[in-house]
Amino acid sequence: MDLGLLKILGIVILLAPLGAAAVCGALGPRRLRDRTHWVSILGVGSAAVAALVLLLHVASHGSGEASTHGGTHAAVGATIPVYDWIPTGVAGGRAAGAVDEDGQVGDLSYQDKQVGDLLHQDGQVGDRSYQDKQVGDLLHQDRQVGDLPYRWFRVEFLVDPLTAIMLATVTCIALLIVIYSRDYMRHHDHAERGYERFFAYLALFVFSMCALVLGGNFLLLYLGWEAVGLCSYLLIGFYYGKPSAAAAAKKAFLVNRVGDFGFGLGILLIYLTFGTLSYADVFDMIARNVDATGAALETSKLTTIALLLFCGAAGKSAQIPLYVWLPDAMEGPSPVSALIHAATMVTAGVYMIARCGAIFVHSETAMLAVAVVGACTALFAATIALVQTDMKRILAYSTISQLGYMFLALGVYAADSAVFHLFTHAFFKALLFLGAGSVMHAMGGVIDVRQFGGLRRVLPKTCVLVVIGSLALAGFPMLSGFFSKDEILHHALHVHPVLGAMGLATAVLTAFYTFRMVFLAFAGPPRVPEGVHPHESGGWMIGPMSVLAVGAVLVGYLGVGFTGKPFHTFLEPVIANTFLAAGPNAAGAHAAGGEAVGHAASGGFLAEYGLMILSGGLSVLAILAAYVVYAKAPWMAATARATFPRAHDVLWNKYRVDEAYDRMIVQPLRSLGRVCFYLDEYLVDGIIWVISFVPQALGYGARGVQRGALQGYGLAMGVGLAIVVTVVLTW
Amino acid sequence: MTFAALGHILPELILLVGACVLLMLGVTRVGRIPGASAGATCGVCAAALAATLWAGIPDGMAELPGLSLSPMTFYVRWLTLLVGLLLILLNWRQADPAEQGEYLSLLLFTMLGVLLTASASDMVVLFFAIELVSVPTYVLVALSRRDARASEAAVKYFFLGALSAALLAYGLGFLYGAVGTTSLGAMARAIGSGAEIGGLALIGLLLVFGGLSFKIAAVPFHAYAADVYEGAAAPVTALLGFIPKFAGFVALIRVLDVFGWAMSPGVFWLIWGTAALTMTAGNVLGLLQRNVKRMLAYSSIAHSGYMLVALLVGPRLGDGPMSNGVTALLFYMAVYGVMNLGAFAALSSFRRGEDEVELVEDLSGLGRSQPGAALALSVCLFSLMGFPPTAGFLGKVYLFSGAFSVGEDHAYAGALTVLAVIGVLNSAVAAAYYLRVAAVCWVSSERERLTPASGMSGRLGLTIAAVAMIALFVSPGALLSKAHVASESPGASLERSATGRAAVDGGDLLRVADER
Repeated sequence: MDLGLLKILGIVILLAPLGAAAVCGALGPRRLRDRTHWVSILGVGSAAVAALVLLLHVASHGSGEASTHGGTHAAVGATIPVYDWIPTGVAGGRAAGAVDEDGQVGDLSYQDKQVGDLLHQDGQVGDRSYQDKQVGDLLHQDRQVGDLPYRWFRVEFLVDPLTAIMLATVTCIALLIVIYSRDYMRHHDHAERGYERFFAYLALFVFSMCALVLGGNFLLLYLGWEAVGLCSYLLIGFYYGKPSAAAAAKKAFLVNRVGDFGFGLGILLIYLTFGTLSYADVFDMIARNVDATGAALETSKLTTIALLLFCGAAGKSAQIPLYVWLPDAMEGPSPVSALIHAATMVTAGVYMIARCGAIFVHSETAMLAVAVVGACTALFAATIALVQTDMKRILAYSTISQLGYMFLALGVYAADSAVFHLFTHAFFKALLFLGAGSVMHAMGGVIDVRQFGGLRRVLPKTCVLVVIGSLALAGFPMLSGFFSKDEILHHALHVHPVLGAMGLATAVLTAFYTFRMVFLAFAGPPRVPEGVHPHESGGWMIGPMSVLAVGAVLVGYLGVGFTGKPFHTFLEPVIANTFLAAGPNAAGAHAAGGEAVGHAASGGFLAEYGLMILSGGLSVLAILAAYVVYAKAPWMAATARATFPRAHDVLWNKYRVDEAYDRMIVQPLRSLGRVCFYLDEYLVDGIIWVISFVPQALGYGARGVQRGALQGYGLAMGVGLAIVVTVVLTW
Repeated sequence: MTFAALGHILPELILLVGACVLLMLGVTRVGRIPGASAGATCGVCAAALAATLWAGIPDGMAELPGLSLSPMTFYVRWLTLLVGLLLILLNWRQADPAEQGEYLSLLLFTMLGVLLTASASDMVVLFFAIELVSVPTYVLVALSRRDARASEAAVKYFFLGALSAALLAYGLGFLYGAVGTTSLGAMARAIGSGAEIGGLALIGLLLVFGGLSFKIAAVPFHAYAADVYEGAAAPVTALLGFIPKFAGFVALIRVLDVFGWAMSPGVFWLIWGTAALTMTAGNVLGLLQRNVKRMLAYSSIAHSGYMLVALLVGPRLGDGPMSNGVTALLFYMAVYGVMNLGAFAALSSFRRGEDEVELVEDLSGLGRSQPGAALALSVCLFSLMGFPPTAGFLGKVYLFSGAFSVGEDHAYAGALTVLAVIGVLNSAVAAAYYLRVAAVCWVSSERERLTPASGMSGRLGLTIAAVAMIALFVSPGALLSKAHVASESPGASLERSATGRAAVDGGDLLRVADER
């Protein structure tokens, strides 16, 4: 691969959206106003083009040859240093540990250190000039080398097929959503308040997400991770005047902090264990089974690291028990829900675990935890989605459920399937959210399916597009969601049959609740909220949705084929040494010579096709059931509700998890806070008052002579010095 | 000394000639054209900067009587001139247009003093350089505003400054008495030749430390700072926060260099106690202030305390900035100069009616009426606080990490760790008063309409300062490597001037004079 080109592309991908965000923020309010979207479209568009070029480049050059550049066999792909950021110590010096093996720089600084030690012991200054000269010579050499012999936190990119896929997905979908927002964020051709702020945040989000994906070490990953969290906070609370939106933003931020705390600890533990944060170095050391001191790694330590990292993933990707923020996040504008809370940001956890496979596969415990949490979340969220009436909330729970699938896939060593599902999901879920946004836009901000219905005649184009998205989500045969979901079920059933069965049940529920939503909103006689004059959305909104719809139908075919799945083959080098090598299919994969990895093992084609037919059939049946219950015979739903009031109640209240958290965590913390507050109010402030009273009293006392207290200052100086001299001389 | 040798001090010569010309121009009609003097001053400063960069890091042969050039000279030169350019932007307009020439030439003189402090190799030259820094600042304070407060501040500053100069001279006298030479290099040799540091030299060192403590506003020589900062106009206060402090720390580095950084327990605990007291006093008193400029004065005192921590760690050759105190100090000085300047630039860019912004509450609603300036001010405040993503964060990390990482073999490892902990706690306390200002800008509603005061130049200075704080966080490598080179061998130049041609040629001014 052409590293120079990749570096330039990476810089464009990062700086174009960042620059767009800055321009929107600086010029938006005064100059650009309702033309601000062009800046954002241009910035994100440039990033999208660059990401596609990067993807093509990686695809056409393969990643195998690049591994020589990466320097290690564990990290496939090219690590491209951009610049040295923060020096952390001297190469080969005390702080460095045994990591650094490149001889020359290490030697130089070692001599430096010797000289330094001599100097410190000294007293014999007579020798100093000689030593200084030596130091000078060394310095001179250093300057010739052109770089200081520090160890750095580097700003570096890691470019491999996983990065390329993630970047292309993020930037392209973001571009479509930015275009869509142009119309969504204005009413009757008047830009909404905060129009320019919205586009600045969107562009900033794209930058953050790209930094997260492109970064070549854990520090940049963490920075991107926090930055997307910040953007998410800003965008959920976009309508900050609305109390529910402000509360939702705060909730998202706080819940994410819980996960991020674990994530931060995990990264610290990585640094303590390996003495470096660079992916290439860390994964290489794991492959060689050594830590910074050269000792063998302990599995327990890797398990701890993996579980801490997973803690962060559970927060960002809304898994049990930290999923509670995502449904509330729907308070943000719909394009934000589509971009951040469905298609891209929430997949950061999936990306991170796929990236850190080297760490995770070394710990069966961690892998099992990932799989179990994923499967449980998938089923759990799907059941809640059955009874919700807010379109965006149904979709939010469905997102949680689908993310659960991805984690299930990761946990059963099928990282390629997880990323494939992430990829297809991004298209159809973005489409569904934009469709919901289109409905909301037409309904004047109402999104509760009880308040409208029969919209297929009112919003014909939106209806068609939402149905396409729903079919894909429901796993209707031959659409993208079908292929990717089926693969996950296949792997899960093979590795953990129980978890696989849960996944299968989820698939049925998914098809049912998705079409419940579709039939409630679009079937039956037209019904709209009072005072609303619905209108079909214009080209700025329908256009991007149509593109996504095409994607939702077609992208699944990247993952099928009789001789090998193109998507999986492309991704394979990234995970070959981690998930595939450690997974249950390892032997099979090796036997098949690495070709058609997804297929090669575990029961062969027959089982997979059987499962395809089974899951496809179940999904069709569930759609039919939804049709019968919600479109043909609405009394059935009412009867079911009346027959099982408690069950409905529990689901309607989302298992009362929020209430439980409130009682078990929030209230006790509040009480603690109240105690601290009173302690602070009376005890600490009392002490402070006493402390501050002393200088204030002095001040009052001195006020009379303050103006013109020159002699006083002089006296203080003189007395102070006298004391010092006396003390030092009599020491 | 040959004529060609003058080439080595070209930046200083440019400043000197420029300042003299400006002084004379000031009385003519040309000097009264708005912006003419300021533009010319910028030109002089830029020319000196260009000369500095063109000459690069001086090599060992650059010897002049009383001066010796070292990598640190280069660092001090370009940093002073660069910050000086920003200061000129801030001081573009004066209270009295008729005084433009004097005012701006004094600015150049004080910068010249800093440059000479960095290259002085003789204690007489060092003393004169320090005074060249100080005297113009007294006048600048007086000229900065046309009211009694400025005059009062100037008088206070002058008398106390004179007292500190006396201390410095007295201390240098003791040193001369102890070693019998005024050449810093020869003194270093004499002190380092194994002889015990006698009581005389020790008293000298203490007095010199006292005199320089005034320049950096360390306890107990700090009391003037709040009054003087409050009395002077904000653009001059920005200067007071950087120029004398920088000169003071450079001089301290050079003096400690003479003593080979080998500190007797008394000296170590003296600096230790000064650092701890200075940062604590600065922050505690800062908490109590309602006046923004007094608050920033105490913040400036506290920052001197932080920087003394790095001074105490000293240079540790071959180690990175994480453990080399002088690198960290030089890096932080650059960061501090710019962020402090940015804060005062923000204050000077608004007026409340006829008067300057004084109280914290005066800034209420700035975020709504002038979001750009409020943002820049907030960036500078966060940097002063030591918060990412600003350079102040990195600077503080390096200042304190040196004290944490001296290693077990260091005689005072424990004491240094305790001092760094005190520093970190102090930074946390300081956040309270910085945040209060930022909060007032953004949260409180506007009380009184603030009118923009400074022209384009002031806003440019403010913008540059804020952008620099972010940029230095994103990419600190270049500045750090410059600081690293400057601190790698601060003492080398002394050695050369002691052993080389210069010693014969006139390195020892007093003795030469005696012989005559």
